Amino acid sequence: MTDVKSDKTNPTAAGWSRRDVLKATSVGAVGAATPMFFTQNAWAEKAIGNYPVNGSEVVLGFNVPQTGAYADEGADELRAYKLAVKHLNNGGGMLDTLKPSMLKGNGILGKKVTYVTGDTQTNADASRTSARRMIERDKVIMVTGGSSSGIAIAQQYLCNELGIIFMCGLTHSNDTTGKDKQRYGFRHFFNAHMTGKALSPVLSNEYGKDRRAFHLTADYSWGHTQQESMQEFTEKEGWGTEGNIMTPLKTTDFSQYLSQVLNSDADVLILNHYGANMVNSLTNAVNFGMRDMQKNGKNLEIVVPLYSRLMAKGAGSANIDGVLGTSGWNWALQDEGSKVFVKAFSDEYGFPPSQAAHTCYVQTLLYANACEMAGTFYPPEVIKALEDFEFTGAGNGPTLYRGSDHQCIKDILVMQGKSPSARNSDFDYLQIVDQVDAKTVDYDPAIFGGELGPYEPA
Amino acid sequence: MDMTLNAFTLSVLTGLQLGSIYVLIALGLTLIFGTLGVVNFAHGALYLIAIYLAVSINNALGFGLALILVPPILFVIGVLLERGLIQRFYNRPHTDQILVTFGLAIVLQELLKWIFGANNIPFAIPSWGNGIIMLHDYLPFLEGFVVYPKWRMILVVVAIVTVSAVFALLHLTRFGLVIRAGMRDAEMLQFLGVNINRRFMIVFGLGAMIAGIAGVFGGPVTQVSPEVGMQLLVPSFLIVVIGGMGSLGGAVLAGILIGMAQSFTAPYIYLNTIIIYLITVIILLVRPRGLLGAKGVFE
Repeated sequence: MTDVKSDKTNPTAAGWSRRDVLKATSVGAVGAATPMFFTQNAWAEKAIGNYPVNGSEVVLGFNVPQTGAYADEGADELRAYKLAVKHLNNGGGMLDTLKPSMLKGNGILGKKVTYVTGDTQTNADASRTSARRMIERDKVIMVTGGSSSGIAIAQQYLCNELGIIFMCGLTHSNDTTGKDKQRYGFRHFFNAHMTGKALSPVLSNEYGKDRRAFHLTADYSWGHTQQESMQEFTEKEGWGTEGNIMTPLKTTDFSQYLSQVLNSDADVLILNHYGANMVNSLTNAVNFGMRDMQKNGKNLEIVVPLYSRLMAKGAGSANIDGVLGTSGWNWALQDEGSKVFVKAFSDEYGFPPSQAAHTCYVQTLLYANACEMAGTFYPPEVIKALEDFEFTGAGNGPTLYRGSDHQCIKDILVMQGKSPSARNSDFDYLQIVDQVDAKTVDYDPAIFGGELGPYEPA
Repeated sequence: MDMTLNAFTLSVLTGLQLGSIYVLIALGLTLIFGTLGVVNFAHGALYLIAIYLAVSINNALGFGLALILVPPILFVIGVLLERGLIQRFYNRPHTDQILVTFGLAIVLQELLKWIFGANNIPFAIPSWGNGIIMLHDYLPFLEGFVVYPKWRMILVVVAIVTVSAVFALLHLTRFGLVIRAGMRDAEMLQFLGVNINRRFMIVFGLGAMIAGIAGVFGGPVTQVSPEVGMQLLVPSFLIVVIGGMGSLGGAVLAGILIGMAQSFTAPYIYLNTIIIYLITVIILLVRPRGLLGAKGVFE
């Protein structure tokens, strides 16, 4: 043994054969390449967007409406994002319930998560400017947020072009994952088509098959697709459509449109409005006596396809009492994921989260988990990890992030406004009438057209 | 949707009601411009203060106290605003006045959002004004069942009363006489020993007070959120321009015209959104000084 050792430790230059040199070179080459073997698919990676991520921190961009009509919703989204960052870095919350999950509570891929925020102002130009600043100046690896489909679509196009993954906040238009879908855009929230599908059977059960609907519709992407979907599915239930008026987004007094409804034969008023729009149109409709009116021998009914707690509060519970609609999620849900999220959020802020907060929180965790699954921040690999990812424990039952259009297929809720006497707290405005399962609201993504485009941006 | 007599009646009422709220806001705007020569872009924010005050007082103490308290409070706010800020801009170009009042409007709007949040605050109609009026009971030519909200009819009446009161003040009182003289030639009035500044301060307060009245009665209609002020300011400002800068009669006429136009174009979204601008362009092309504008003012 000693002899052998002494031989090896005292090689002379003359002792190096051609074979030894070749051996040493190949071992050296393998050694130099070793780190790449442990970084999955690293051989294929190149700089895209803000990849690679240098340093010990990774920055996420939270672009939410901090001013304008959706500012309250934006504030709640931001609270959820901050909570998600806290949980990603330190553990807790849905990290304990999301399955399958590779999140460890030590950041993303060992890097501490930090964030920057921006204000979309619910304005397409402002949201793009803000997202671009985050991407170019703050070097964010992912952008998320927003509370309007017009804004989500605008940001999605920009991010796709720049090679940055965009995790949509609250956006409900069919177009977001339909004709305007993008490879770099992902939506966890449900959409107008799913609302129509889930809500219409409940409506015909409740109000009968022989009904005539009049639609008032917010004049932008979401409103248009919401109206089309509600018309399609209520007509499948046997209802007629008396008319539809597009209303400008900034309308505060809807009397001019409500007069038209009064003058029609409609016995159901469908308000395809969201946020402040819905608050005003519903309040105006109540002032017009529409909740106590009879048409065609039936009670005139009002329907709000997309509901949120913040809207219900703005309209006042006397006005929304009994009104039906749908929500993506509600804090009263009793599954494990919802419970830990509501607890963590309430402990942090003192009140329960909105559905906007829920979707934003889940989106952040899903992105982080996809990075862990891919073993890299390299966007094409993260996208592949998200596509067709099936998970549970995030508050909506078993969920599929459908690869063909980046739409989450999950349970949605049919909600009804509570009467003032039935409320238990200042956050208790809506009750869950039905949890419609994912299979029922599922649909063929081909019906909306659109192309996801390539994994590597041009 | 054929235009039946029923539909026509409903559209006329809606036009009147939309016009009423515009007139109430435009009235203060044009009064201030006519006397002080100041283009007050903060007027929408005064309306905003009024509706927030009104809804707060209404929810805490009832509508009666809101009605009694809000207009005088707005008068005081108007006077303070005029003394503290606006009077320093009397001799500055209109662009300076627009910039400072517009800036003030944004500050006030964000301040209210900071205090009350961006979400709507429900403004309930008082019980005596709640409900609907059965129009077919009063108008025999209507067929079947035709109704209109009572509160909106009250709003129209309030607008008529307020406009009449302002006209009476300007045309039947000595104070009005001095103000009208001041509008013609402020310098000459000062030569005659009239303290026109003090009266102008009162006029500014009066304009704000009318915004207060508009807020108390208009709040339940426009609802209470921080965007409302700016949304009403643009049409109201255009109404002042169409009516003729500084002309009270013009503001009333233009307000009703715009209200009617919006009401009758409601089923046609693309026309509905541009109608107000279309009318402005046509009127200013045909009559640059506005419908009842004085010759030489902003022509």
